[in-house]
Amino acid sequence: MNPIELTLGIMTAVGGFVDISQLVFAAQAGSMFGFALISAFAFSTLGIIVFGEMSGRVAAVARQPVFNLIRHRLGLKLGLVTLAASLLSTLITCAAEIGGIALILRYLTGAPYLLMAVVGTFVLFASMWVLPFKWIERSYGLLGLFMLVFVAALLAIHPPWGKLAHGFVVAVPPDLSPKRLLTYLYFVVAIFSAVMFPYEAYFYSSGGIEEGWRPKDLLTNRVTSIVGMALGTLLSIAILADSAVLFRPLDVGPHIPGSAALEAAMPFGKLGLLLALAGMFFAVAGAAIETCMANAYSVSQFFGWDWGRHKKPWEAPRFTIAWIALLLLALLIVLTDVDVMSLVEYAVLFSIIVLPLTYLPLMLLADDKSYMGQYANKWLAKGLGWFFFVVVTVTALAALPLYFLTSGGQG
Amino acid sequence: MARKLLFLLLALTSCSKGPEADLQYISEARSLAAEWALVNEQAAQGHLTAAYAQTMRASIRDQLQSSAKSLTQPKAPYAAEIGAILSAPDDAPPATLRAHASNLKRIEDQLESD
Repeated sequence: MNPIELTLGIMTAVGGFVDISQLVFAAQAGSMFGFALISAFAFSTLGIIVFGEMSGRVAAVARQPVFNLIRHRLGLKLGLVTLAASLLSTLITCAAEIGGIALILRYLTGAPYLLMAVVGTFVLFASMWVLPFKWIERSYGLLGLFMLVFVAALLAIHPPWGKLAHGFVVAVPPDLSPKRLLTYLYFVVAIFSAVMFPYEAYFYSSGGIEEGWRPKDLLTNRVTSIVGMALGTLLSIAILADSAVLFRPLDVGPHIPGSAALEAAMPFGKLGLLLALAGMFFAVAGAAIETCMANAYSVSQFFGWDWGRHKKPWEAPRFTIAWIALLLLALLIVLTDVDVMSLVEYAVLFSIIVLPLTYLPLMLLADDKSYMGQYANKWLAKGLGWFFFVVVTVTALAALPLYFLTSGGQG
Repeated sequence: MARKLLFLLLALTSCSKGPEADLQYISEARSLAAEWALVNEQAAQGHLTAAYAQTMRASIRDQLQSSAKSLTQPKAPYAAEIGAILSAPDDAPPATLRAHASNLKRIEDQLESD
């Protein structure tokens, strides 16, 4: 297996896990609840590995991306509702990522936020227009690995490893007041949603088709989904653990996306800060590209248009117009000067509501032997898939009440 | 049924006034003051670039202003404390900012125990 093929998984993981909402929620979770929410990351990661592997397998065997399945399995009406909800949630997520890019560029240069939003969007546009799919994934995926500085920071600050390891055990911290318990549950839901963003499945399966995956590539799919997602989680858990060790004793509850970079500056000084900001920039930019392309994939697949970045932009004109329009729309949202943190919260909230509708048709098709033949779900994938589908549905039902009861996690 | 529940939740979260309704803003301001102190401490040790430190301070100030504006009791002691943080210079000593954060923490604990 060519190691370079792993980059699709790495980009999906780095760009999908450690996007702007992961930066915010991981740092806040560590500061508010110590290591306790590590288990929420670990548990959600298992979920996205299950569905990521499944969407890649369906793409390789049935040659069907997720939104094709949604229309065929849910019917036109429910399919349209899912499309609209997914477009809205992914558009908000894309706007949050562009806002995040603008903030990071502002931390690096000191230039005005709105100007940096325009510059950042232009960089994204140029990358998506000029670079072939493989190079988009390689450049943003690999440069996003600068974020490993958060893992190095964790090693440098000598955390209490026993307590950190205990964080992997699913348990509600004792002695929480009812109010704190609700906030804790809100964070569990937010982390679950941010790790399992629906756009990841759309992008991953469409990417598999862009790369021409066949059944012979199923091992690559399995390895990339497991290694890539695990790497993403490692970074998120490092950010959470750094925050638990460095921020929690000082009563700092990071309210700003850039706060996470302090975790690398404290042990390593300016070099650590710059590496963290560079890694954050490429990871968030990778996520912005994924969200924008995921939306264009969804619309094109639903309506049966030609699609794909493996084609020249003018060979798939409606797909090209779709991603350009969606990128500009996301920029327009940012230019209204809406708070990035609010966008992050809305993105997480809308996404969790769309999740059951995203994963149900995928499960149905992956279970179907008439489509998948010998590659249909076996007992493990089927059991885990339905288990996580129930969890996703319960989480979706709990999201809105928890959001209102905790004022968006503020307690 | 679901709609009724949603209205009830909305009513519960949006209609309350007074110090209890301000708790989340007090908590936010306390945490922002602590973060500002940390930024100034790290900047003084040469760990931060000027652009990063300035941008963080500006963002913290914006959020503090937003918390202050959201208070339902603008004449309460905690409002004065938040005002005092806002009037601090960008490079205020970390100890001063932490003292404000401690004062807010005390008020927050007191309101939570009432």
